[in-house]
Amino acid sequence: MSSRLLASPEFGKRPPVRFVQLGRLAFRVNIRVLLLIGISALALVALAAWALTLGSFRLPLADVLGALTGSGTDDANFIVLDLRLPRVLVALMIGPMLAMSGAIFQGLVRNPLVSPDIIGINAGAALFAVFWIVTGRSLQWLPIVAFIGAVVAAMSIYILSWQGNISAARLILVGIGMNAVFSAGTSLLIIRADINDASRAVLWQAGSVYASTWSDVRVLLTTLIILVPSGIGLMWALRVVQLGDMTARSVGMPLERTRLALILVGCGFSAVAVSIAGPIGFVALMIPHLARMIAGPIGGGVLVFAGILGALLVLGSDMIGQHALPVTLPVGVITAALGAPYFLFLLYRMNTQL
Amino acid sequence: MTRLQAENVTLAYSNNVAVVEELSLAIADGGVTSIIGPNGCGKSTLLRALARLMTPRGGTVILDGEAIHSQPTKEVAKRLCLMPQQPDAPESITVEDLTRRGRYPHQSMLQPPTRKDQIAIERALTLTNMVELRDRSVDELSGGQRQRAWISMALAQDTPLLLLDEPTTYLDIAHQQEVLELVEKLNQEDERTIVLVLHDINNAAQVSDRVVAMRAGKIIGEGSARAVLTPERLEEVFGVPCDTVLDPDSHRLISIPRSRIDTARKLPANPIGPPLTAEKLSSGYGKQRIVTEVDLAVPKGQITAIVGPNACGKSTLLRTFARLLAPMDGVAYLDEQPVQVGPHRDLAKRLTVLAQGAVSPAGVLVEDLVAVGRYPYQRWWRQWSDADQQVVDEAIDATGIDNLRWRPIETLSGGQRQRVWLALALAQETGTLLLDEPTTFLDIAHQIEVLDLVWELNRSEGRTVVMVLHDLGQASRYADFIVAMKDGRVVAAGTPEEVITERLVADVFSVRSKIGRDPQTGSPLVLPTRNQPVAVPAG
Amino acid sequence: MAVAETDARSAWLGAMPRVTKMAALLLLTGLLLVMCLVSLRVGSIGITNDDALNAIFDYSPESYEQTVVRSLRLPRTVIGMGVGAALAVAGAAMQAATRNPLAGPSILGVNSGAAFGVVTAVFFAQITDPLYFVWFAFAGGLATSALVYGIGSVGPGGASPVKLALAGVIVSALLGSWLTALLLLDQQTLDVVRFWLVGSLAGRDLDVFYNVLPFFAIGIVGTMLIGHQLNILSMGEDTARSLGMQTGRMRLLVAVLVVLLAGASVAVAGPIGFVGLAVPHMVRSLSGPDYRWVLAYSLVVGPLLLLSADVAGRIVAKPSEVQVGIITAVVGAPFLIAIARRRRIAEL
Repeated sequence: MSSRLLASPEFGKRPPVRFVQLGRLAFRVNIRVLLLIGISALALVALAAWALTLGSFRLPLADVLGALTGSGTDDANFIVLDLRLPRVLVALMIGPMLAMSGAIFQGLVRNPLVSPDIIGINAGAALFAVFWIVTGRSLQWLPIVAFIGAVVAAMSIYILSWQGNISAARLILVGIGMNAVFSAGTSLLIIRADINDASRAVLWQAGSVYASTWSDVRVLLTTLIILVPSGIGLMWALRVVQLGDMTARSVGMPLERTRLALILVGCGFSAVAVSIAGPIGFVALMIPHLARMIAGPIGGGVLVFAGILGALLVLGSDMIGQHALPVTLPVGVITAALGAPYFLFLLYRMNTQL
Repeated sequence: MTRLQAENVTLAYSNNVAVVEELSLAIADGGVTSIIGPNGCGKSTLLRALARLMTPRGGTVILDGEAIHSQPTKEVAKRLCLMPQQPDAPESITVEDLTRRGRYPHQSMLQPPTRKDQIAIERALTLTNMVELRDRSVDELSGGQRQRAWISMALAQDTPLLLLDEPTTYLDIAHQQEVLELVEKLNQEDERTIVLVLHDINNAAQVSDRVVAMRAGKIIGEGSARAVLTPERLEEVFGVPCDTVLDPDSHRLISIPRSRIDTARKLPANPIGPPLTAEKLSSGYGKQRIVTEVDLAVPKGQITAIVGPNACGKSTLLRTFARLLAPMDGVAYLDEQPVQVGPHRDLAKRLTVLAQGAVSPAGVLVEDLVAVGRYPYQRWWRQWSDADQQVVDEAIDATGIDNLRWRPIETLSGGQRQRVWLALALAQETGTLLLDEPTTFLDIAHQIEVLDLVWELNRSEGRTVVMVLHDLGQASRYADFIVAMKDGRVVAAGTPEEVITERLVADVFSVRSKIGRDPQTGSPLVLPTRNQPVAVPAG
Repeated sequence: MAVAETDARSAWLGAMPRVTKMAALLLLTGLLLVMCLVSLRVGSIGITNDDALNAIFDYSPESYEQTVVRSLRLPRTVIGMGVGAALAVAGAAMQAATRNPLAGPSILGVNSGAAFGVVTAVFFAQITDPLYFVWFAFAGGLATSALVYGIGSVGPGGASPVKLALAGVIVSALLGSWLTALLLLDQQTLDVVRFWLVGSLAGRDLDVFYNVLPFFAIGIVGTMLIGHQLNILSMGEDTARSLGMQTGRMRLLVAVLVVLLAGASVAVAGPIGFVGLAVPHMVRSLSGPDYRWVLAYSLVVGPLLLLSADVAGRIVAKPSEVQVGIITAVVGAPFLIAIARRRRIAEL
């Protein structure tokens, strides 16, 4: 296990941690993680700018910048601000939400195989959404219906796992069970539906940021503004939760309350993301692993880093699905196609430890 | 004549760091050989290789004159059997069925059980004294009975060579004696060759004809128990000086590792630690009551040890004091305030508990783990302060882990890890420290290291320390006050001299013993005597 | 030491004498026969006992009722028996080999591989006759599980249960994305396969079943024969090896048998979840921990559960019906949740 660790140049050295105090806020930051966040954020900005130039009508970067700063031509303004920017922004924000949700759940149940897709939260959203689609109701309400579905799923999983306390193992088992129930319901709806509705339902289930609007952007932005600070704040508690129930209790943590808060934030992220873009797979499962491998154990900074990586993956996948292939594919298909081989590589690298 | 031997064996796990290097060892036929050594010296790895569970990177293991890896697995299993450390049984399997599974190497695919199988099973059950328990589920047995059930399975395998990995760990002294006597009986009456890996040197001295002392993957001493288990050799092996006491019963020398504590040092006059009391306290898990109506006053500023046989409720009592478990009845008080009342955070500033088997996710650095102890003093918006840093630094200094500060936890040895957890507890700045079996898994040197540290923490400022210990000698050496429990009740409480008597040991642990004196501190020392006199082997 | 607490009830049932176990097994077999008859009778048109029995033993083609039994009800009953038994037995074997109570036959990616095979065939080769699906499903399932096993056993540790599970999840996800892409690109493919993608016993041809019958037979007989070996394997790596078992080989054998069973099942009836996972847990409270008994009970309880679910699917949505895959998930999941709630589970 430790030979590679022992050989690494950072082994046993002091990590570049600094103490920061801003008024009443006081915390420690790891400069290396900060640096990683900076680099990945720059990469993200560059990728987003590139994404704005791409499309059936190619725009030079200068025009894009012009449109963004309010000095562009009418055509460029329309293409960039009305057509491309909402989609890019949605992709940018969906990624972090899924990744952070995954990071929170993986930390909470101390199992690297857990993500909101596996414990049934996405399946709950999908069941409600597919019901809405196949009964031919107004698609305008689809995000809200999906959100309700995710919340209902999360609540039922939480309630069914509650037995005086929430055990991580029980949460996983109950989650897998609920996932199966919701998926079965969804399948039933798809079989019974008219083929066109069924097709739309499958499209929605693949997860896509196609036809995003500014109102989607507003919803996502509000969610991020509320949930990201709570997420970062909770990371400080999560690191204690990860040391096991006994240790967490012995340092005086109100464990059930903390768990509930973590579940609420994790579900909030996941539910909103799924309601806007459908269940995009693999981001929540994979990105937290990647972030931890690069930046170290989970903490506030690493959570942000995971978020940016998530944005990179979703935006990049959307660009590939939209522009790089002969056919247009929804982003969810691409994230899985990119993610799975990477994960297999990870498995191969880690397999001495399992 | 030797049937099993290792020749220049080098063993490594996947990371290519050799755990055992170029080691040669011949197991004497018909004897009991014990392999001893500090944590991580490669003794269990060597045993696995001797049982063909591991392929050596270099050298060969030879069984009956042939390389063991060139022989079919079933053939090997007819001649040699390994009982792994802490095996886990399938849920609710009966003792007899477990024993029956030991016949596997003697059976072929479709062959019905033969009379020979049944005879071997009966014999195994008889030898291990499990006949009456044969229809009981293994889950329901006590620790010692369970260990006997596993040995019974190993016996049913009917092999002349028997390899047992740490058969006495986790067992209280009565159960340890039970297992050791069984080992002697198997060797003497049944003529089996037995190889044991043991971490208790006195257990090794009691049963072995030969002792093999290992350190860092090499054998550094081999011979009769008397020749190897000398203070000089033990210091060389474990890195801790030992005293010896003559056991009046068996005339064997008992080795006692020496502490670095100064027994003359008085308790601080104004201890910071408050008293702990329990009033008619009952608690347990689910509906099962494990601690029943305990009345107890733990003196302030002293070290208290709770002792008792396996499953007597000592850990449960400790957990109830620490508010990890809610009492079913009665109240636990810390400094005359019920521990159940008020925010958890407030209790965590006054009392800390080091639970058994604490886990840490991969990659967490020592300092970060110690910093978790500051949790009760922090808020999410004020996650750190200069005061926090200072306390963490002090805790790290006090536990002597400054050189490990930036290492990930998983790269530390057991003793180092235990010190890190103690530092976490210290960083909580509490007057009371509760420890649940802080020395399990540790070899004698590390045990002494941890207990010395606990003693120092108590004597420096007068913290109230309550710890669950399973070694009675250590309990009476370090504790000012001893609480003996049995079946969920407190049987006796007082100073070591008052509590540790032959009569109490017989009552509580069901073991006959003589009480000696600790050569270093003069505290009582329990020397178990044999339940049945064992015939002296001829020759 | 809290782990050592016992569930006294299960211990008592596990220690039932052989006679009781045998009697309970016979009772369950009787129940299964009754359920077969019910399965022949219940549906959009009701059928009498006489017609049901005559259709099998004394068939007269003029009778409409008997024709229905012969052409529709009998195939699905027979297929339900075969698939139920295969999945349950495969699940028990998988749980023994991985020592993981959550393992089922689908852990090796058989279901997703089969779906992948079928969808690919429909998409690229425009095959629409379900009679041919069976081979593509079987081939896809086989190839995928071989891939999963291969990936799971790279490296020095060999095929450890955790690695297998991880590899299975990931390969399934990868194939799932491929599947979604194809289904999105072509609505016609979706229309053809969406019924297949939900496990069902309805509308499957007996010929399809006969095609894979040899695999069922080999798989079931083979697994029943290694009950004792599974007992030893379930005791853990070190114990099994020190008893002289070559655990690597044995695991591979179990994997092959499981893939045969699960592959054949999915080929005939599509992916049916939860039978393989839940049945071994259900029977354990009667059979005790001995896998020879667990397998014997699974062989009977698996078909019983599947046929009951199928019949229930026909009753709840009369005159139409709900696919059995959906019913087993809806019935099985609460069961899983009940296990999770009843047992004192150790950390995973």
